[in-house]
Amino acid sequence: MSDRAKPGSGRVWGGVMVALLGGFVLLWLFPIYWIVLTSFKTPLIINEKTPVFFFTPTTENYRHLFTEFNFARPLWNSLVVTSISTVIVIILALLAAYALARMDVPGGKNIAVWMLSLRFMPPIAIVIPFFIAWQRLGIIDTHLGLILVYVSFNLPFAVWMLRGFLVEVPRDLDEAAMLDGLGHVAILRRIIFPVIAPGVAVTAIFTFVFAFNEYLMALVLTSRNASTVPVTVAKFIQPYSILWGDVGAAATIQLVPILIVVFLLQRHIMRGISLGAVK
Amino acid sequence: MTIVLTDITKAYGASPPAVRGVSLEIQDGEFFTLLGPSGCGKTTTLRMIAGLETVTSGRIELKGRDVTNVPARDRDVAMVFQSYALYPHMTVRQNLGLNLQVRKVPRAEIKQRVEDVGRMLQLDHLLDRKPGQLSGGQRQRVALGRAVIRRPNVFLMDEPLSNLDLKLREETRTELKKLHENLRITTVYVTHDQSEALVLSDRIAVMHDGVLLQVGNPQEVYRRPADVFVARFIGSPSINVFSGELKRHGTQLTVEVQGPEEGSGGLVLPVNLAHQVTPPSGKVLVGIRPEDLTLHRSPGPGTLRAVVEFVQPMGALAYAVLRIPGGEHLVQGRQDVMAAIGPDDIYNRDEAVWLDIRGSRFSLFDQESGRAIA
Repeated sequence: MSDRAKPGSGRVWGGVMVALLGGFVLLWLFPIYWIVLTSFKTPLIINEKTPVFFFTPTTENYRHLFTEFNFARPLWNSLVVTSISTVIVIILALLAAYALARMDVPGGKNIAVWMLSLRFMPPIAIVIPFFIAWQRLGIIDTHLGLILVYVSFNLPFAVWMLRGFLVEVPRDLDEAAMLDGLGHVAILRRIIFPVIAPGVAVTAIFTFVFAFNEYLMALVLTSRNASTVPVTVAKFIQPYSILWGDVGAAATIQLVPILIVVFLLQRHIMRGISLGAVK
Repeated sequence: MTIVLTDITKAYGASPPAVRGVSLEIQDGEFFTLLGPSGCGKTTTLRMIAGLETVTSGRIELKGRDVTNVPARDRDVAMVFQSYALYPHMTVRQNLGLNLQVRKVPRAEIKQRVEDVGRMLQLDHLLDRKPGQLSGGQRQRVALGRAVIRRPNVFLMDEPLSNLDLKLREETRTELKKLHENLRITTVYVTHDQSEALVLSDRIAVMHDGVLLQVGNPQEVYRRPADVFVARFIGSPSINVFSGELKRHGTQLTVEVQGPEEGSGGLVLPVNLAHQVTPPSGKVLVGIRPEDLTLHRSPGPGTLRAVVEFVQPMGALAYAVLRIPGGEHLVQGRQDVMAAIGPDDIYNRDEAVWLDIRGSRFSLFDQESGRAIA
């Protein structure tokens, strides 16, 4: 506190903080900047020994991506699988979180921990059983197959997160709504959901990003029809060369849906992240 | 009879029950207050009436219908919460109208009733705001309006004024009383503020440790407390409780509060225990309200010597805070004795005075049980 009292020292401290934070932001943004830059370079420029920052951009990589690798297909697959699984996860997680937070579910607390513990298991440990089961069910290499996997993988996390937001909502609100004649579903839809909307937005983004970037399950459970973007990008690493230009272009395109989702929901995100802390 | 509670008990797990065997009958149109310190079970009782809390044992009737196991939403009771519990994402208009909308009241009628209630509670210019944009007092009125608009069987109010500052609280208290006079809807009101209870209520139920100690109108609980706890809890400044002794002189029974020292005298109060067949033995507690004590500047028969500590002016009247020298064992609960004096009376610190009782207004309590001796 004493150094705060000295005039000017607060401003110096603030300046240092801004510089530090600025440095971190640059550090985080640089790889993104570099990959976007790479996507507009020719192979020749990409393979220069010294990094090239200024050059004549080319869209050759993008053309190559869509013609040679038929990139529209995995992009569509990724969007479909990710969006549908996210919507399902959020709906189910809201219901489950409400039940766990508000109803006297026997052993509710244990159920919550148990659900989270499903996430402790490394996916590699269960991917083979999944493969066998999905093959028997005939949903290998289908949207449905991947959606089921992503729903089951992301649900525990989403339930846990929404439950955290939900317990912050004063119970009085539910009780007032109950006395106003609303049932559980109506309370969830008309009272709880609007109040924790920022939290739902944050949860939805996390779920979306997890599913969109998931590699291992998609690699094993899809082949030609339902293959997703991460799996396709991995194919650019070939035995004798790495198609950096294609990687850059694919990664840049992959950023777009996530950026769109984040910008759509950004109004809520900050409130969502601080929802628990500031009341 | 609007509300009948029969021997209701609420227990949470293994801990002692929060409410133990409470039976009550609340009349139509009555303003009924559950009063007690925090943790006494008053809020739990209210919540059981609302249906927000299950009943461990006992029976609850609303308007002649057994609702013990009826869910809250089907009881047609409206509640004002201490926190107001306004829906933060809805406008005042939507907050007020939600119940009517749920019950499928025609839209035009909802609009009409919202505006009527808005006018009644001076919210008409705020109807399109959200709760976050309102002051504490305005939120409180919305919470009240949300209950009023329903014209319910029963209003339940859980310390609705405790989040307001003192001035606003007193104003709102008057508004609440007016509202009740106009609407005459049965109201169950929970508070720990005894003055609020006295001002508002038709009848008061005093609770302590989950048990109902006394039910009566404000005058009764103030003047004839059934229990020394009730006597202490109601009234501000609170009642003076002395240790006394019952004595019999022929047919006349007196209670004496004997001064501790030579020459400090003692109070001698005639007791009329007409319907008490065997008067309880010896030691009793004597409760005397500050306004029932008078101060004399010189000793007289049946007066008790005390010393002035200081004077507390309260505007229209004042209280002398007194000490009985050597009489720590004589005064129960706290060391001081309070006596009402005239606002212009001047007493100096350490001045000796003699306590006397005005009229014969005092209460006797059993020393062991604390129950009143009739």
